Amino acid sequence: MSQSPTHAQRSDVFLLDAERTTWHDETLWFVRQKRDKAVYATPEFQELRQLASDIKDHTLSQLAEYLEQFEAAALANGVRVHWAADADEHNAIVLGIVRAAGASRVVKSKSMLTEECHLNPHLLANGVEVIDSDLGERIIQLRGEAPSHVVLPAIHLKKEDVGETFWQHLGTEKGLTDPQQLTEAARQHLREKFLAAEVAISGVNFAVAETGSVVVCTNEGNADLAIGLARVHIACMGMEKLLPRLSDLAVFTRLLTRSATGQPITTYTSHFTRPAPGKEMHVVIVNNGRSQQLGRPDFRASLKCIRCGACMNTCPVYRRSGGHSYDFTIPGPIGAILSPNIDMRQHVSLPFASTLCGSCTDVCPVKIDIHTQLYKWRQVLGAEGMLPASKKYSMKLLSRVLARPGLFKAGGVAARLGLRLVPHALSHAPGYNPWAIARELPAPPKQSFREWYAHQSSVSAK
Amino acid sequence: MKVALFVPCYVDQFYPQVAIASLQLLEKLGVRAVFPAQQTCCGQPMANSGCEQDAKPVYHHFVETFQDYDYVVGPAGSCVYHVRKHFDIIDQTPAVQHVRTATVELFDFITSILGVTELPGRFPHQVGLHLSCHGQRGLHQANESEMTPVRDGQLRRLLAGLEGLTLTELDRNDECCGFGGTFCVSEAGISARMGQDRVADHLRHGTQVLTGGDMSCLMHLEGLVRRRQLPLQVRHAAEIFNQAFA
Amino acid sequence: MSTRARMLAAVRASQPAALPLPAVPLFEGEASVGKFTTVLESIGGQVVSLSHLNQLAATVALRYPSEYRVASALLRTTVAVNAATAATILESIDLAVLRGAFGVAENGSVWLPEAAMLHRALPTIAQHLVLVLDRRDLVATMHHAYGRLASQPGGYGIFLAGPSKTADIEQSLVIGAHGARSLTVLLC
Repeated sequence: MSQSPTHAQRSDVFLLDAERTTWHDETLWFVRQKRDKAVYATPEFQELRQLASDIKDHTLSQLAEYLEQFEAAALANGVRVHWAADADEHNAIVLGIVRAAGASRVVKSKSMLTEECHLNPHLLANGVEVIDSDLGERIIQLRGEAPSHVVLPAIHLKKEDVGETFWQHLGTEKGLTDPQQLTEAARQHLREKFLAAEVAISGVNFAVAETGSVVVCTNEGNADLAIGLARVHIACMGMEKLLPRLSDLAVFTRLLTRSATGQPITTYTSHFTRPAPGKEMHVVIVNNGRSQQLGRPDFRASLKCIRCGACMNTCPVYRRSGGHSYDFTIPGPIGAILSPNIDMRQHVSLPFASTLCGSCTDVCPVKIDIHTQLYKWRQVLGAEGMLPASKKYSMKLLSRVLARPGLFKAGGVAARLGLRLVPHALSHAPGYNPWAIARELPAPPKQSFREWYAHQSSVSAK
Repeated sequence: MKVALFVPCYVDQFYPQVAIASLQLLEKLGVRAVFPAQQTCCGQPMANSGCEQDAKPVYHHFVETFQDYDYVVGPAGSCVYHVRKHFDIIDQTPAVQHVRTATVELFDFITSILGVTELPGRFPHQVGLHLSCHGQRGLHQANESEMTPVRDGQLRRLLAGLEGLTLTELDRNDECCGFGGTFCVSEAGISARMGQDRVADHLRHGTQVLTGGDMSCLMHLEGLVRRRQLPLQVRHAAEIFNQAFA
Repeated sequence: MSTRARMLAAVRASQPAALPLPAVPLFEGEASVGKFTTVLESIGGQVVSLSHLNQLAATVALRYPSEYRVASALLRTTVAVNAATAATILESIDLAVLRGAFGVAENGSVWLPEAAMLHRALPTIAQHLVLVLDRRDLVATMHHAYGRLASQPGGYGIFLAGPSKTADIEQSLVIGAHGARSLTVLLC
């Protein structure tokens, strides 16, 4: 059995460039601070979080009914609704719609779901040109990379990297690093693609059961521009995106961008309910493991996620390891509780890539108990026998010692004695003691507290 | 009031002076805490590693050890939080329920249970407070930057009350230090980097004595400070108050 | 069994007992021109006061070059646009002047319904955008905004807040990503 690299192993690579790690950490901390400013300025923010959480809990508890209601409303609006059990079926449906439209050029706005389903390679393999139109997505598409963040897909790159990529692919001047000029070059390049595309694919931020609408939020306007021009619009949505009522959007639009970037709202909060006359609108509803997660009471709440990325921006581990260290479509704390549902063995290290500091839970706009779920996934992975044998047996041994005071006392004496007698070079050897890569071990005292206490008691008894 | 001192395993073995200071500080406040010698650990190292089931005998042992006390006071927010939050997987007998609510962090006990909001004494140094995540976000002993810009909390107030003490204002008031239990070895690289960043924030703003209510965070930070021989003393807050309260 | 039936069955088997749907209170807020202006300017938009709608043409003429190709239902325009207008023509438009339905003071957004767009792509394909708004049509928060829509979002509609922007390169804010390079709200 080949083991994929652990989060720690991938992080070690990221950490090699200490300066870049500092930059990555500070850039995302800056986003977290923008979020804080927006949150502090909204007195009812905590009340909104609770409402959002309750609305999502309710919706998940009647998800089947809301899916049916949404479908009926969408059909009545002239929208075609498709159901996909998994990524393959989703990709086949999308390709089928593209083919039926006789199209070969597709423009796609940002969608983590299509990333999750690996739609692009499927379309490309079938002769369909698919262009990501979100600037960050386009940058990483040109580089052949995966997004490293759900809202800021190219946050792992510096402007020099983007300049290099655009020089290679878009023919910009070599050494161009000005974000304004780079963005302008992308604007010109992508305008051509928007004008030529026959099909526009979008993600879905929210879907409204009551009206059959899908809502797409962008700052760039790429989704609206593409959909407004193309003959066919395909909106791909995970089935947990539903909200019962149009008015519920008030709660969620108020929370989403304040949590994500500190903006009061995205520039474009677009409501697609009916296709334009003579055009087509399709919605593909995707399961791909979501019903399974819905059936896990301890992890169900992860489906409330609205992909704001706040847990990534606040996570001290994510900020210092980068999104690619998670090796899952959704990185960061939320990704670490979604990924084991998809493949426990492959993602076994992710729930351990956290200090359980709880900041993710506190910033989450829909109050997902992320750090508690990380803890619970660890228990599931332990019970499923996924932990490395060394850890498993050392923990069993530790348990035996800690449940028996006599053994514990003897063990403590031995450990302290050991630390005092073993030469520093050995106790701090990098291959044997990961603690010592950057830290000294505690200086072992002559006496433990219990020894001191026993001595005191015997003195005072006399 | 029958009070037991809960001394986390690593404090017992490596930082006896912290437990001694806790005991003496409580005594100065009129509380004679006893140390039940059969105590071992809260079981957190196993549970955080995904071996919660293996920790069950340890949980039972903890409850048996402390069930006859009104309060179980420990100088470690993380261990206290573990008892209060994660002992939910064993049968919730009256003894278990009692121990879960009776287990209290030292400064929470001093401020919330004893009602002491100011401790006497002088400590003429610039002190940097490291907030333990489990004390702050878990036990709500301090305000959280995720919720409010106000930087307040039990320990911060007590420290600010000491004569001659200056508190450091950090760039990041409540970022995790990166200890995280077994995380510190399973993700050693990130753990060390987080701790280094935390220490740098303190040094940048003039901290002379780095303190906190949780010795586990401090053990990690102290290890980093000693490795680089940085001009910082690391001391548990119990030591500071016990020394100041002469 | 169809995929649809299998998916719905899987969801039914997994979903917990029904939990209540909360009523959302109408959070109050300031619906003033001052608040709307401050917020919209903080996100890169501009607000200009018109004493009367009959000043519209003069104001636009003053603020934009005369050679601009303009599309609008509110002005005499250089480009006539309707739902059937070809993309190549839309692409040449420098300025669109459209009627916003109402504005939201807490976030500086303006509800732009399909009926006011001339063409669905016009608000994003035009290089610059002007939205004309009656100052009496300002609401405080998104709760009031969706209250105004009364569960009728129309075929397509946008809450549009400021010019198109991106910060995808090193978090540097750049105005004019794909949509309008500038947005001005003319309040009358």
